[in-house]
Amino acid sequence: MPNTISAGDTAWLLASAALVMLMTPALGFFYGGLVRRKNVLATIMHSFFILALISVQWVLWGYTLAFGPDHGGLIGGLDWLALRGVGQDPGPYAPTVPHEAYMVFQMMFAVITPALITGAFAERKRFKAFVIFTLLWATFVYDPVAHWVWGGGWLGQLGALDFAGGTVVHITSGVSALVAALVLGRRVGFGREAMDPHDATMTVLGASLLWFGWFGFNAGSAITAGGLAANAFVVTNTAAAMGALTWMTVSWLHKGAPSVLGAAAGAVAGLVAITPASGYVDVSASILIGLGAGVFCYTAIQLTKRLKVDDALDVFGVHGVGGAWGALATGIFATVAVNSGAKDGLLYGNPGQLGIQAIAVAASIVYSAVMTFVILKLIDVFVGLRVPESEEVLGLDASQHREAAYQI
Amino acid sequence: MEILAFVSFAVLVVAWLVAPTRGNIIVVSHAEESKAA
Repeated sequence: MPNTISAGDTAWLLASAALVMLMTPALGFFYGGLVRRKNVLATIMHSFFILALISVQWVLWGYTLAFGPDHGGLIGGLDWLALRGVGQDPGPYAPTVPHEAYMVFQMMFAVITPALITGAFAERKRFKAFVIFTLLWATFVYDPVAHWVWGGGWLGQLGALDFAGGTVVHITSGVSALVAALVLGRRVGFGREAMDPHDATMTVLGASLLWFGWFGFNAGSAITAGGLAANAFVVTNTAAAMGALTWMTVSWLHKGAPSVLGAAAGAVAGLVAITPASGYVDVSASILIGLGAGVFCYTAIQLTKRLKVDDALDVFGVHGVGGAWGALATGIFATVAVNSGAKDGLLYGNPGQLGIQAIAVAASIVYSAVMTFVILKLIDVFVGLRVPESEEVLGLDASQHREAAYQI
Repeated sequence: MEILAFVSFAVLVVAWLVAPTRGNIIVVSHAEESKAA
């Protein structure tokens, strides 16, 4: 077989994998700044620990479940267990890069997705329960849905468009976060005492690093180092910017001041929404997608607060709603002028694509909600989900890790 | 679609011009300054 490996594509994909890797610790700092100081280490640990845990799970069985040879459109086979047969030659998904490079790029997506959920159960979940939940969730939710969309499964066969993970990453994590918040219940003192972010600067730094890493997430998903990657890079940056500007503006009109944390959250919302669309839409569409993300995600968070759901760090509002908006917007704004290998959306004469996107959104919502509920209930029976109230009041840094973040 | 993009950005710019600043001002204690004094 002739060697088809491209040095440029391989370099870009490996660099993108490194960019996406940075996003998970960045998420730890984004979330860490938003919690109270007694829980900051435990919150950062969630992301850092997942980076290690899923790195091992992915090479042992995660990758083959998600991307192994298809079985009935539902799951990958065990052919690549422990990466048997995944080596330096190209695999079936990317003809110009080593199979290992493609595998490690996908690994970083598998890592960050369960880390996103941790924002919903912050400040009250038992560490042991968190570890088991993450392992089960990655195996029974992330890996199958990744297969459905990207691994030759039924949603990909149906024609669903998801360039970098609107359904696979953001809807699954956002919906699971809402289920986790409901199953675990509210934090002690929720609604009665202030639970303000302990370090807004840490959160803005985390958001900035997320924005940086997202270029690998979306532009890297082109797999090739060419025009499609450049388009994804530009629309990603534009949507993030519009998300930040819009969220800040809406919150300013609503609450009377231009919030710094609002700008940071808005940038993340814009990034989430452009994720599934980034390989299919042009820059004008990305402005509208970022605008919609700012409005819809901000509104969703106000609603969850009104319903007194303690999704501690607003994961559902940003990732669940932002991911769903992005997936549907892909069905509206996609154009073959950007990606000749894809399909047009509603605005370019193909209304059926919006219907396919809606099916993908609904399937990922229902599946991740049901599976997350079952996993959490099982863990609650065997391990217990929450720390005792006294430990929650003391803080998870001390009660779960026997450490303190600050000695000042 | 380009027109919609321009319009949406223009709406934001107008909103910044007319948005009122209201609400309680959070007083931050300057521990270091107090210590120095």
